[in-house]
Formats: sequence, structure tokens, C-alpha cells
Amino acid sequence: MLLNEPDAKRTCDKLLSYLRADDAVVRVRSNSDSHVRFASNTITTNGSSEETSVQVTVWMNQKRGEASGNEMSDAALRRTVEQAEQIARVSPVDQEYVPSLGPQTFEPVDGYVDATANIVAADRARSMAQVTDACEKAKVSGYGFHQAGAEAAAFASKNGNFNYSRSSNVSFALTVRTPDGAGSGYFARSHFDLGKLDIGQIAGEAIRKALDSHSPRPLGPGIYTVILEPQAVADLLGFFTYAFDARRADEGRSALSASGGKTKLGEQLFDSRLQLYSDPRHPELPGSPSTEEGVPARKTWLVKDGKIETLTYSRFWARQKDTLPTPGPVNSILEGSGSLSTIEEMIQSTERGLLVSRFWYIRTVDPRTALLTGLTRDGLWYIEDGKVAYPARNFRFNQSLLQMLAPGNVPKIGVPVRTYDSGALFPALLIKEFNFSSESDAV
Amino acid sequence: MMKYSRREFVTTLGVGIGAMALPSWSMVQEEASVRGTDQAELADIAIATAKTLGASYADFRINRYRYEDIETREQQVRNVSLRQSFGFGVRTLVKGSWGFAASGAVTPQEVRRVTGLAAEIARAHSAYQRKPVTLVGAPKVVANWKSSFQHDPFEIPVEEKIRFLLGLNDIAMRAKGVSFVDSSMSLVNEQKYFASSEGSRIEQYIIRSYPYFNITAVDRDSGDFQTRGSLVGAQMMGYEFIEKYPWQAEAREASEEAVAKLKAKPVEPGQYDLVLDPSHLWLTIHESIGHSTELDRALGWEANLAGTSFITPDKTGKLRIGSKLINFVADRTQPGGLATVGYDDEGVAAQRWHLVKDGVFVDWQTTRDLAPLIGRKNSYGCLHADSWRSVPMPRMPNVSLDHAPEKVSLDDLVSGVENGILIYGDGSYSIDQQRYNFQFGGQTFWEIKKGKITGMLRDVAYQSRTTDFWGSCDGLGGKETYAMHGSYYDGKGQPMQISSVSHGCPVGRFRRVNVLNTAVRRP
Repeated sequence: MLLNEPDAKRTCDKLLSYLRADDAVVRVRSNSDSHVRFASNTITTNGSSEETSVQVTVWMNQKRGEASGNEMSDAALRRTVEQAEQIARVSPVDQEYVPSLGPQTFEPVDGYVDATANIVAADRARSMAQVTDACEKAKVSGYGFHQAGAEAAAFASKNGNFNYSRSSNVSFALTVRTPDGAGSGYFARSHFDLGKLDIGQIAGEAIRKALDSHSPRPLGPGIYTVILEPQAVADLLGFFTYAFDARRADEGRSALSASGGKTKLGEQLFDSRLQLYSDPRHPELPGSPSTEEGVPARKTWLVKDGKIETLTYSRFWARQKDTLPTPGPVNSILEGSGSLSTIEEMIQSTERGLLVSRFWYIRTVDPRTALLTGLTRDGLWYIEDGKVAYPARNFRFNQSLLQMLAPGNVPKIGVPVRTYDSGALFPALLIKEFNFSSESDAV
Repeated sequence: MMKYSRREFVTTLGVGIGAMALPSWSMVQEEASVRGTDQAELADIAIATAKTLGASYADFRINRYRYEDIETREQQVRNVSLRQSFGFGVRTLVKGSWGFAASGAVTPQEVRRVTGLAAEIARAHSAYQRKPVTLVGAPKVVANWKSSFQHDPFEIPVEEKIRFLLGLNDIAMRAKGVSFVDSSMSLVNEQKYFASSEGSRIEQYIIRSYPYFNITAVDRDSGDFQTRGSLVGAQMMGYEFIEKYPWQAEAREASEEAVAKLKAKPVEPGQYDLVLDPSHLWLTIHESIGHSTELDRALGWEANLAGTSFITPDKTGKLRIGSKLINFVADRTQPGGLATVGYDDEGVAAQRWHLVKDGVFVDWQTTRDLAPLIGRKNSYGCLHADSWRSVPMPRMPNVSLDHAPEKVSLDDLVSGVENGILIYGDGSYSIDQQRYNFQFGGQTFWEIKKGKITGMLRDVAYQSRTTDFWGSCDGLGGKETYAMHGSYYDGKGQPMQISSVSHGCPVGRFRRVNVLNTAVRRP
């Protein structure tokens, strides 16, 4: 059972009452999670688990210590506080100490649904059986993962800040392969509301992609125009908000650092139709009501009309730079301004290019240019004269995100949708030039 | 370049402190709240409840994990945290279907409830199970096992660890041109109790240590920056790893190299012969051989995330993976190896076996439910869970490349190269979902011309195909060049679990590999 607000508050108060430290932030978190996996149309593993845990961060004479554990007896809670204090006593002064926040006002966020948190194993088993039946009917093999869970989290500071929130999430990812291994498709979605996760759509799309991607042809590496489906955009940009950290940019070790000790704040780095922001109260993508530091989360623009609008400041770095801490990001939303395009319209407008379903094994190669490598996977098609011509063999890419989103390189933008990532809402993008460096035999 | 004997340390100390069985050892129960916990009694409750509910097999794990993490930068301590996680998990096999459930509330009532839930989940899925799960047999085991270490790192005062890291940072910051240094120490202690319906009762106590640093040199005028991370990685060792490894010497060398990278010559793209140090080669082994020889991947169990494998069961004993020099051994007994255990998470004893012999793929990594699917009678003991709350799944043993039988030095291999690159340390890494096409970076790159090292290069990454790459190996170092490196955080599965695994190898030479220059124009 998830902790309710009174119980979470009681645990926070109890932890605070054990303190000898000058300042502290305590956290309590409870979560439940269950999942089922299947491969070759038959169930492989499953699991269900529950846990409640606490984390205590203290400062004694500005010296910091932290301890956490999942034993909830009074004796264990007291010991966790004592451990944190013991560490603080022997640590040097925390040069980045900023006193914990006093009472704040948090806007409520609605991202919790009981049916998601309390999913019934038998119902899920039946739903997954419908997916494997559909795969068998199409003479393909399904490999899937369905997961549902919920979390309740509260924190309290010695100076009076407190917040409690609950969230739920359900996701289903399905890979479908043809029996000869020459075709593979993937589709995945997530939602906080079990009722809004369309299992039939996911199964249908994954099966279609597997059949349509059969027997891919080699094309040879090079620069291609690409249409990135929302999942492919999420794969590339899911972690991009980290690049906006002000401290790293100020220190000269980020893609948003500039020569002469400056940063790229305010520069027109991206196409002028691109908007990147975080919004805790987005109805499709509710985020946490608070940042990790206990600052109330608010809508935060990172990129506005293609310009770097904000770099993100922690409470310490904001104090150093005489500015306010950034109230986010707590999620990641990419939108286009002006008229938006469907994937079909993007295909019709493309003389020669590639339609990309998703990317895989993405790693940063060069942080100076946010240059990533990775591979296409589970559906890549060649487009010729405005039509999907045939499936193409997978590629490895080496591509800088700064160049990919640069002015003039993003002629068309789609409507943002939730993909598999529970923290992102991304659109399909038409990218004029994208660098594929070698072919991969993998299907 | 290596000016001190890091390899000697990794080779000799790692091998010198072999794991040993401690028959009279019993689990440390330091927590007041645990003193009343009788693991055997809880296990009996779980097993009896599972049997009553129709389980043909059940196992029960009650585990405590302790983590200590210290993070510093320059002369500041950023974080010191202690974390504990304690709980139990029950796995039941009912009507040919698995059911797993876990809880962090360790009481007899909760064990009954959670065992009931595990059986209920298994029953719910059994109606749709197209192939019933079967297990190969495993001997009943009653044993205690403890990983080998000289100094328990959790017994060392926090102040001493902070002093060590800040001392390293001080050395690193002395080099002219160094701007920042981050360093950390991550310590793990696993205390595991396993019981099965077949009568096994196993206790294990495991210690792992992972110190790390990363040095950054920034050229503020040009806006350029370069980093050099530590090379040695994590080990299944105690605090002696921190005390005996030449950390200060490496920090000094790394700081100079971080600055030198700013001015190093950009690599010309093209084909080069590569000489790869074990601090680099371990990761190529991990990605291209370690994962491709997991039987669950080959059978499609991981198709929805990590992918499948270019190796399939019908290729066993037939597929040539590399040149005749190549021999890969899977080994859960290898001293110092991060995946070394006494027993796996279904009670099968640790083993050593060949995956690749004389360049040909010969065998798989298996568990009790995977082995029967390819007609095997025994498991190689590769089941692992990263927490009491995680369902156990097949995980990689230590997978190591044999060294040459004769004496071959790094210089011997370099002397046979006309136009090549010597690479130290692991950098960026990526491989496709069937483990064909890969790309690897590194920490430092050294140009080889006419058998001699002539200077530093930058912006290097190489791409190859697994069988082409291992087929191009025409030279391996001898025993003196052999060292073990590894990953603390190898991810696999859904939900994602991490595991730790090591890969021993000598220096290796690979002919005509495709090298890229990874730098692009900054907007």
C-alpha cells in the first residue's frame, strides 16, 4: 500500500524529531511495481514488489551527511538519522551549503490513477494473451514488457518546507519479429492512466512494422534526409535537458559553453520554430510538483523560438551567480510553432530520405558538440519521390544534436505525443541532413 | 602512457587473493531490527506456503545490501551517503509458470502474503503459458561463502576515504592547465541468504570497491575542453584496492594527459592497426562477446530491449568468431572478478568453461530454465538478481580472453605496426542489438609509426563488426600484460537490473580497423 499524506507527514515529523543537526531535509518514499514479460509469444518472467524507504540529509556546522534505508521501525529510523549525523561530524564543511527552504506553495499535479496503481494480475495476463494471439494470427513472434506501478513521495525540511505527491505509470513495449528473423518492428507507449494505454494500437503498429520491414536492402552510409518518428526523437533528445545545466556551461565544459568563457545563452542555436520546455501541469504529461531541491516546479522555457532561453540553476549556483534557482525541468516537451505536419505529409514532401522508427544504444561521443552515436532499429524505410519505397538495412549514426536542430535543418515538425518515456512529449521531425557512418547487419 | 606498473598491480594482486570458502562463517547481523529475524524460519514459511499453493519448485532470498558512496570535486566533498536495503523475494513455479513477488517488510505474515501473491501471479499466467518452464537438476547445497578481501572497506573511517580522494584531487589540480577534477568511491556489500524447496540453504557475503576520478582541462579562450578518466575500474576487493594501487601516480599522469589532449594531433580518418591495452579491450570483449553468448538473448528473451544475438544455438561448435589465437573463458570463480560468487541466485555452484576455443564459438551462458531449451542437463550458474525485489535473470559471468602462452610484451606488438594507434582506457561505446556493428572510443590515443610510438592523437573512435574484429587479431600479449577490468553497472532486462562483471585480457593487436575522427564544427 502506498503511504497516504498523513502517514508520510508523520514519518517525516518523526525523522525531524530525532535530529540534533542544525539543518536537514528528510524524504519518505513508498512504491509498488508489477510487470510481466513474454518472448516468442509465451510468458517468461514477471514480478511484483513493494517498498517504503527514507533518506535523511543533515548539516551540522555546515557539514553534510546523508543516510538512507528501507527499515521503518522507530529504532531503524533513529539509526538512519544518527548515521547521517555521524557522517556530517567527520566531513569537512560543505562549501556548497545553502540553508534548506522554508514553507513553499506547491501547485497540485494530477498524475495518479488508482486503476494503474492497483492493476489486477489476471486482467493483465488476459490482455497480454490477446497480444500474443494477434501475433500468432499474423504468423509473427511477440516479445513484450508490460509494467505498472505507483509512487508516493514526501519531503520535509527542518525549516518548514513540506510536500507530498503521488504518481502512477503504466507502459507497454512490444517487439515483433518475423519467424525468419528478417523483419522486426517495435512500438511502445506509456500513460499515468491505465485506461488511456491503447494495447491494441501498440500491438497493431508493432506487427505492421515487423511485416513491412522484412528483407531490408543495403543503401550505403552517408548524409540522408530523415523523418524521425516521435519515438526516435525521444530516444535522441530524452536526456537533452541535462545539457542546459548552467554551472557546467559557466565552467566551460558543456555543449552550451562558448569561447572566451561565455555561454550560448540567448543564441539562436536551433530552428526558430522549435520550443523546448518543462511543465509540471501538462495534462498529458504531469511532472513532479517540486524540483529535487524542493523548489516548487513551474513551467520553464529552455528553448524559445530556437533561442537558448534559460540555463538551469541549482540553488547553490543561483546564489553564486546572483539569480534565482530554476523551477525545473521536471519533464521535457518539444513543440513546433506554426503549422504542424503529419508523418504522411513529411513523407510526401521528401524526394529521397529515410523514415526512422527508433534508435538504440545511444552514447555521447563528444560532449563539446553533443555528438551522439547509436543505431537505427526495428523499422527503417527508404523514401523515394514522396513514397515509402522499401525497407533499408540499419545504420549507425554519428550526429551532433546541435547541428541536427540547427536553423534550416528542421523543415517540418509534427504534433508532440507521449512515447515510452514517462517524462517526455516529443513530435516527429523532418531533418534535412543526418549523418549515418556505417551499416549494421542487425535486424 | 604507462610509466608505472598499474598492470602489475591488477594482475598480481587480483590473482593473489583468491576467493575462499568459509565453512564456519555466518552472516553479519548488525541491525537492531534484524536481530529477531530468523532467516531459516522465514524460508521454511515461504517454502511450505508455496508447496501448499501447488508450487512444484520455489526459492526464497532474503538479502541486505549496503552501499557507501563518496563524491568530491577539487577540494570539496559533494556527498557522503550510506544506504541500506533489506527485504525478501519469493519465486514459485506453479503449473509450469513462474511467479515472483517481493517485499521490504520482513515479517512472517508478510512472507506468507507475498508467497501467496507469487503463487497467484504464476497461476494467472499459467493459463497462457505456451511452453511450460522446466528446470535442469541441481545438487542440494548447504554452504557459506565469502568473497576474498583483506580490509573490509565499510570498517575504514569515512575521514580516511575523504582524505584519500581529496589527496588525489590535489595531485590532479597541480598540473598546469587542469581546470576541474571529480572523484568518487563506491563501495558495495551484499549479504545474501538463499533457500530452495529442494533443500538448499546458502549464505554469501560479497564486497566490491570502485574508486574513480575524472580530470577536465578547459581552454577558456577557444571554448575547448578534454577529459581523462581513471583507467583501472572496479574490483571485487576490499580497501586494499585503495591502499595498494598506485592512484597518486595515475592521477599525476592523467592530469598531464588531460591537458595534452587539448593540443594533441587530430586523427586522420582511415584504416589503422590497433594495439589495445586491457584497460580498453575489456569493454570490447564485454559488448561483443560477453553479451552475444548469453543464451537468453539468443533465444529471444531480451528481444524487446537489449536485443538478440548474431550467434544462434545451431551455430554451437561451428561458428568462427575470431582468429585461432582467440580463446574466451567464462568464469565465476576468477579471483577478483566482479561476477565471481560461490553460488548463483538459484544455488548452482560457480564454474569455469570455454565460450570460444581456438576462435570457434563452443558454448553458452546458461541457467536452470535455459539449459533444457538446448538439451543440456546442467546449468552453468548464471542466474542473478540485483536486489531482493528483482526477479532473478540470466547475467554474464566474468568473460576473459586468454593471454598468449609465450612471453609477448606491449613493445613486441607495437614493433610490428607500420601505421597504427595504441589505445588506453574505455570511452564512448555502442553496439547494435545483435552484436555485429560496434564503435568504441577511449581515454588516450597514441600514434604508432614504423613500430614506434610517436605522439598523442585526439578525437579517435573505431568501428568494426564483431567477427571481422576478432578475426583481425594477429597478436596477443603474454601473461605479464594480462589484467582484469570491469563494469560496476552493466544494465540488462526489463525492468532494468544492473550487475557487476569483469573481463581479464592481455594487450591485443588488430589489423586494419576503420578509425573515425569524431570532432565536428561547433556552431
